Amino acid sequence: MLTRNWRILSRQYSQAVTFRTNESSPQQHNEKQTGLFYTLNQDTCKSLFSNGGFPKSFLKQTKTFTETAIMIRQPALDLINCIKSTNFDAPVIRYVLYGEKGSGKSLTMAHMIHYAHEDGYLILHVPWVSEWLRRVPRHKEMSNSQTHEGFVDLPLDAAAWLIHFKTQNQALLKAGELKVSEEYVWSKREKTEVGAPLSELVEHGITRVKYACDVIYALVREIKTLSNKKQCKTFVAVDGFNSFFYPLTRLNTPTKRKVKPEEVTLTTTFLELTKNDWTNGVILLSADQLAVPDDHQESYFPRYLLRKKGFEHLDPFVPIEVGRYTEKEFLSCASYYRDRLWLRGPPETEIELKFTSASNPYKFMEQCAPL
Amino acid sequence: MVFVFCFTVKHSILATRCSVRGKVLSNIFQYRTGSSRVTNNVTDNLTDWETLSKKKKISKAMKAYLERAKEHDEFMKKQHFEFNVGKRHLANMMGEDPETFTQKDIDRAIEYLFPSGIYDPAARPLMRSPEEVYPARKAAEFDEAGRPHHFLFYTGKASFFKVLYDAAENIQELQKFEDKVIRKKASPDPNNSLKLEGSVWFTKEQLEKTLVETIEDIEYTNFKNVMERLVSLPYSYRCKDFIEQFRKPLTTQRFALEIPKPNYDEDGRAFITTYECLRKKARGDVTIKSPGTGNISINGKDITYFEDIQSREQVIFPLIFTGMQDRVDVVCNIEGGGPSGQAGAIRWGIAWSLRSFVEKDMLEKMQVAGLLTRDHRRRERKKPGQPGARKKPTWKKR
Repeated sequence: MLTRNWRILSRQYSQAVTFRTNESSPQQHNEKQTGLFYTLNQDTCKSLFSNGGFPKSFLKQTKTFTETAIMIRQPALDLINCIKSTNFDAPVIRYVLYGEKGSGKSLTMAHMIHYAHEDGYLILHVPWVSEWLRRVPRHKEMSNSQTHEGFVDLPLDAAAWLIHFKTQNQALLKAGELKVSEEYVWSKREKTEVGAPLSELVEHGITRVKYACDVIYALVREIKTLSNKKQCKTFVAVDGFNSFFYPLTRLNTPTKRKVKPEEVTLTTTFLELTKNDWTNGVILLSADQLAVPDDHQESYFPRYLLRKKGFEHLDPFVPIEVGRYTEKEFLSCASYYRDRLWLRGPPETEIELKFTSASNPYKFMEQCAPL
Repeated sequence: MVFVFCFTVKHSILATRCSVRGKVLSNIFQYRTGSSRVTNNVTDNLTDWETLSKKKKISKAMKAYLERAKEHDEFMKKQHFEFNVGKRHLANMMGEDPETFTQKDIDRAIEYLFPSGIYDPAARPLMRSPEEVYPARKAAEFDEAGRPHHFLFYTGKASFFKVLYDAAENIQELQKFEDKVIRKKASPDPNNSLKLEGSVWFTKEQLEKTLVETIEDIEYTNFKNVMERLVSLPYSYRCKDFIEQFRKPLTTQRFALEIPKPNYDEDGRAFITTYECLRKKARGDVTIKSPGTGNISINGKDITYFEDIQSREQVIFPLIFTGMQDRVDVVCNIEGGGPSGQAGAIRWGIAWSLRSFVEKDMLEKMQVAGLLTRDHRRRERKKPGQPGARKKPTWKKR
């Protein structure tokens, strides 16, 4: 009884406030809802972003607020409009998100992944490329590639990504309509036959970590052919894509040799994926200052961050800027924080915060924390 | 007190009613005593004339005083002569006309010839006329016969005790007046009350200077107590002149007259540019345009020119304080120094330019908030033998 009353109360509340929208499906989002927050369903959230996808600080905040609310912003709406009006017979269009640090590129991407999930896309999502190339925990598993001479495998990272892929696409993989079109021989005893479901391939990568990188390579090729054959439509999202084009990674081979990003098998795979030689898909990338070291963060524009090589690799692409909060978005966000008791004090606080944070979403969130 | 007073008044009225005769008698008596007084005066005058006629006979005190006065006069004369000669020399050194060389020119010349970095301005070299340098001395307080002019001469601090005496007399008078008003059943006029917000009592030094007497601490507190008591009376405005002799006005809004009028650019927007915005090592200029929308441009960037919150707060503080954050645009050029110095310089520049766009009471608030005060502090030099300006080496037993 109590819980029911509580639910009714909260529903009435959510209809009364001006900074929320009840529309939880990104397909229905439109210009009227800019600056409003929508709440992600707990289950979807778990299946889509349990293995990464949200920035760490945002994850912390969702825990504090006990809900995952994302603001509907103009770049995401533009993207949705673009995707809706795309001709899927033409080669894939590549969108590149760019913007200042903390302006919400990753969250825009998360919004888009939710959209893709709702729209029935097969999602290939790399939460953060630097996790592979630049983050070196104490025991980073590295091995020389068996199949590609002079290349380096990151088997554990690859397996982790396969799990991420599996959880994100549970429904599609379970349906079992996606079949492998080629025979893959892994070793004398292990092979994946023609016509086996795609999930078998993924499972193989997860259980036999040694082959995870090769499995991803095979998977990407399979998905490309499947998309071309219109058996599925594919949504590729890579956050921190410019990390692939920075001249050096932080990885060292056992012989203490510095590894270049193009020597990693995962790089080749995903560069292969982001070429526009296939159809029936969407590619969403982001160029982020945080994905490269501090001394190369002078500008946030894609030409600088992707460098010449990356720029030529992606050309032509659609750049989409994720900017600071507009006046409306800022007020909506402030009232949301007030509602969550994240921000308290007199109403003049907002005026000051707007200046001190320069309407930067991340800075704003951070500065509200002690208030 | 008042009650007692009323009683005495009644008593006196009764007395007058009772005896007209007695009054006449007393008048006669008064005539008598008056006549005797006259004779007394005559004798007094006679003795006075006597002393005057014996002019040669000057009292020892007067003699000593005359000697001292003569000495002092000679000394001052000499000092004056030396000062004038020095002034001429200085003027010649500076290549200027000695006739038109003023005190201002002297100060400038001294500052040029003897540059001094001593912190306290009072300790720096100076050249002033002898009247300013040597304290004033009292003139003779007694006549040639050695009789003091002042009735409080023998207290040793005649003018100080005269002040206390006058204050006490004023208090009594005001109390009498109050009684009178009460008898008339009137109440004090609230519009006439004394306004003392804009001034403060003389400090001990100032009082000493005006009275030309040295005062003890306890005497100064007595003075203050008496004056406070006088001021606390409801009709204290009646002796306003007396009170204001011993009060010094607080510094008034000096800048109120100097606020520049804004110029107008081709768009018809009012703008004010403040040059020389300084803080620490930062130098720059700030332009404020009104009307605006709250855009801030610092060296071509927006407020993200400053990374840290503190500096941003510094920059926006005057805008938020005056509530002008949405009504003006700010353009700054700043160079030199670090972030905090630059932010401080911009803050001062914005506040200084905003004077032309705010009301007078807001101006006073800004003054009180310290927005219009320049921060002259500079980096302190490192001292040899220690790791920093003030930091001493770690103490080690051995």
